[in-house]
Amino acid sequence: MKRFLQFCRHGLWLLFRPLWWLLVWVWRAVLFLLWLVNPLTWIEWVTRTWVRKFGIGHFSFVIVNAVRNQRRATLTMLSVAISSGLLVSLLTMQRELTVPPESEAASLRVIARNKVSITQPLPAKQLPVIEKIPGVVAVSPFTFFGGNFREETVTSFAQFAVDPVRFKGIIVEGRIAEGAYEDFVKDRTSCFVGADTMKRYGLKIGDRMRFTGTFYPVDLDLKIVAVFQGTVDDRGVFFHHKLLDELTGDPGTVGTWYLRVASAEVANDVIARVNRAFENTSAEVRTETERAFQMSFMSMLGNVKLIIGLISSMVVITLLLMTVSTMSMAIRERFRELAVLKALGFRRTELFAFILAESFGLAALGALVGIGGAWTFWTFIDLQKMTNGFLIYFEVTPRIMATGAIVAALLGIVSAIAPSLAVARTSVVDGLKTLD
Amino acid sequence: MALPLKYNLRNVLIRWRTTVFTILGIAAVVAVFLVLRGMASGMEHTSGNTGDPRNILVVRNGSQAESGSLVTRDQFRTLQYFEEIARNEKNEPVISAELVMIVSAPRRGAGGEANTLLRGVTPRGMELRPQVTLKEGRWFTPGKREVVVAQRLAARFDGFELGGTIKAGPDRLTVVGHFDATGSAFDSEAWMDADECRSIFDREMYSSLLLRPRDEAALTNLLARIQSDKRLSLRAEREVDYYAKQTLTAKPLKYIASILGVVMSVGAFFAAMNTMYATVAARTREIGTLRVLGFSRFAIVLSFLIEGTFLAMLGGVLGSLLAWSGYAVLSLLGVNFGTLDFQSFAETVFQFRVTPDMMLLGVLLSAVIGFTGSFPPALRAARLPVISALKSL
Repeated sequence: MKRFLQFCRHGLWLLFRPLWWLLVWVWRAVLFLLWLVNPLTWIEWVTRTWVRKFGIGHFSFVIVNAVRNQRRATLTMLSVAISSGLLVSLLTMQRELTVPPESEAASLRVIARNKVSITQPLPAKQLPVIEKIPGVVAVSPFTFFGGNFREETVTSFAQFAVDPVRFKGIIVEGRIAEGAYEDFVKDRTSCFVGADTMKRYGLKIGDRMRFTGTFYPVDLDLKIVAVFQGTVDDRGVFFHHKLLDELTGDPGTVGTWYLRVASAEVANDVIARVNRAFENTSAEVRTETERAFQMSFMSMLGNVKLIIGLISSMVVITLLLMTVSTMSMAIRERFRELAVLKALGFRRTELFAFILAESFGLAALGALVGIGGAWTFWTFIDLQKMTNGFLIYFEVTPRIMATGAIVAALLGIVSAIAPSLAVARTSVVDGLKTLD
Repeated sequence: MALPLKYNLRNVLIRWRTTVFTILGIAAVVAVFLVLRGMASGMEHTSGNTGDPRNILVVRNGSQAESGSLVTRDQFRTLQYFEEIARNEKNEPVISAELVMIVSAPRRGAGGEANTLLRGVTPRGMELRPQVTLKEGRWFTPGKREVVVAQRLAARFDGFELGGTIKAGPDRLTVVGHFDATGSAFDSEAWMDADECRSIFDREMYSSLLLRPRDEAALTNLLARIQSDKRLSLRAEREVDYYAKQTLTAKPLKYIASILGVVMSVGAFFAAMNTMYATVAARTREIGTLRVLGFSRFAIVLSFLIEGTFLAMLGGVLGSLLAWSGYAVLSLLGVNFGTLDFQSFAETVFQFRVTPDMMLLGVLLSAVIGFTGSFPPALRAARLPVISALKSL
């Protein structure tokens, strides 16, 4: 039986040997390529050349030591890189969810909605009252249609019913081709569309857009006559409120009012006046700046923000644990050498400086790779398309990158402490005796 | 084949100082993964736990949620005399025309406002939902501007306590009771009388119809009948199916869990690999000895693979237990989470939930990390030349 098993194993080995060798060589080729693109390879090469020419100094000593076990240094660097990249991504996510994008024109815009909730309509007869309020430059109905484009099952971009003439005075920063807006005003079944949406679906002027209503029991069939760009969010579709009224049998309601105020100084007064104008009527309004309006959506997300914060801190902890573990491994490996250095007369502070510089350097390099990688990834990826418009900007700000870098730097310092203490505590004799 | 298994396992335990950080790191990865999955699973559990399989929910064709649906009184009148619908002892059809409104309310403590879901129900509707039981106070009296709120929702909003008031336009509703809906979607709702609700919000139409067919055959029949009736333009679905589909909000969370899980696992994989390489390097002589003692290369590879996997699984078990104890503490304290439901556009209350199969998945994840991470180091250990390995310090 035993011999039979041996025979089988031998046979299997013969069978799989070519495959095995192929695997081994592929693995080696991959390793070689990785070695070639590894920044540590180049750092080591430069340092060694330097040392050969000018002799060894404190700095080059640290570098040569750090990359001596290139595999370990690389793995340390990579785990720091992944964690710091992740940290930066999470912070960006949190920013995206809590801080809506800002624009100058937006600070002059005010949205009035029904006090009951955003889904409750407002009577159209409020328009003349709002128009007369001092400080209001322009006002237009602004009704979220919430339709699904073509065969889609989710609302991936917003459609709004507006008063075409009045709306012109509100999105002043949107750039529209000469004469195109007039076409929009003229044609009751037309719409104008954000450049991002045009690009995403490969639409051109003259195409038709079909929407299945989810909030309203009607469907839309709109002709694209104009494209706008240059706003914070170039995705929306805007069409005639008259068309919506016609389709729904003119209920005499609008979703919200969109106002532009004369200046940022009077915005608060206007808000107070609009609110007061409809107090104790059957449709009380809540007026707020566009920014505050967006912030209120963020507040609805509830605990999700907390969860992301929690996870970010968990990532930092993981990061810390991993770096500490590798650093102590690196030092343990060289315990005897450090004891020799001690015997040669190097002081504890110098040894601490060596360890600190090494761990700090590896952490810094990892942070550079990770944060740089995260920045590149989020800057060049089409996130809007990937998440169906859930995440739009995902801007990795310098502030966030700095936070990531500071965390990584602190990490490098903290992870040097434990090994340094161990080295400082151990006497030369004990250190020399260490085997493991 | 003989394996020096005892040697490996004892090594993990005795040299714990070398590996403790790696284990903790993997534990953290598994814990994060499980926490996120636990959130998503809590949301899914809530919607999956809602409804009665004998009920049919009818909404407008094309609307994804009750809150965006409109059912006219004509449609209601037509539908209620369908003979498939069960009758109660008073010979009334068991059908409830309901109104779902979104009302904005201030969050308890600091932190702005959020939408809450206000449902106008009828006595039939309450009979059709046996999941909902009164916990405190009493049910509302129609016409008195009274409302009964889910206990779990009440904990999250100001003015939802007994005797508190909810502002709904010019009207104020008094909270006269709290109900419990056994962790279903109704735990995120406030209930009042349907007709009163229509008059307060000045609504002609209803949002949805909930009804009970006579029997299973009538149910299938009715589903087909409503669907095929183009005049009605309504969509009928089993109540449980409708709620099971209301998981749009859990989806992004699940994606994030998977992405984070994968990325963090890669980080942990590097750390595990590092640890195992260090382990192999530190024990070069011992490996040489094992070879001399007659253990084959294959045995060495296998034993180191098992050691690495065991090490990672320790972390995985630790992380799972961490997530589970979090779940245990939270559910013991009765802590609820809430977020905006993208479909109903109102706050949905859910509980963080960690199930044994999720914990198993977490441990499996750690095992994969450990196995792949220790593969190259194990090969290295097996390929060490015996003589020089013995000579090494």
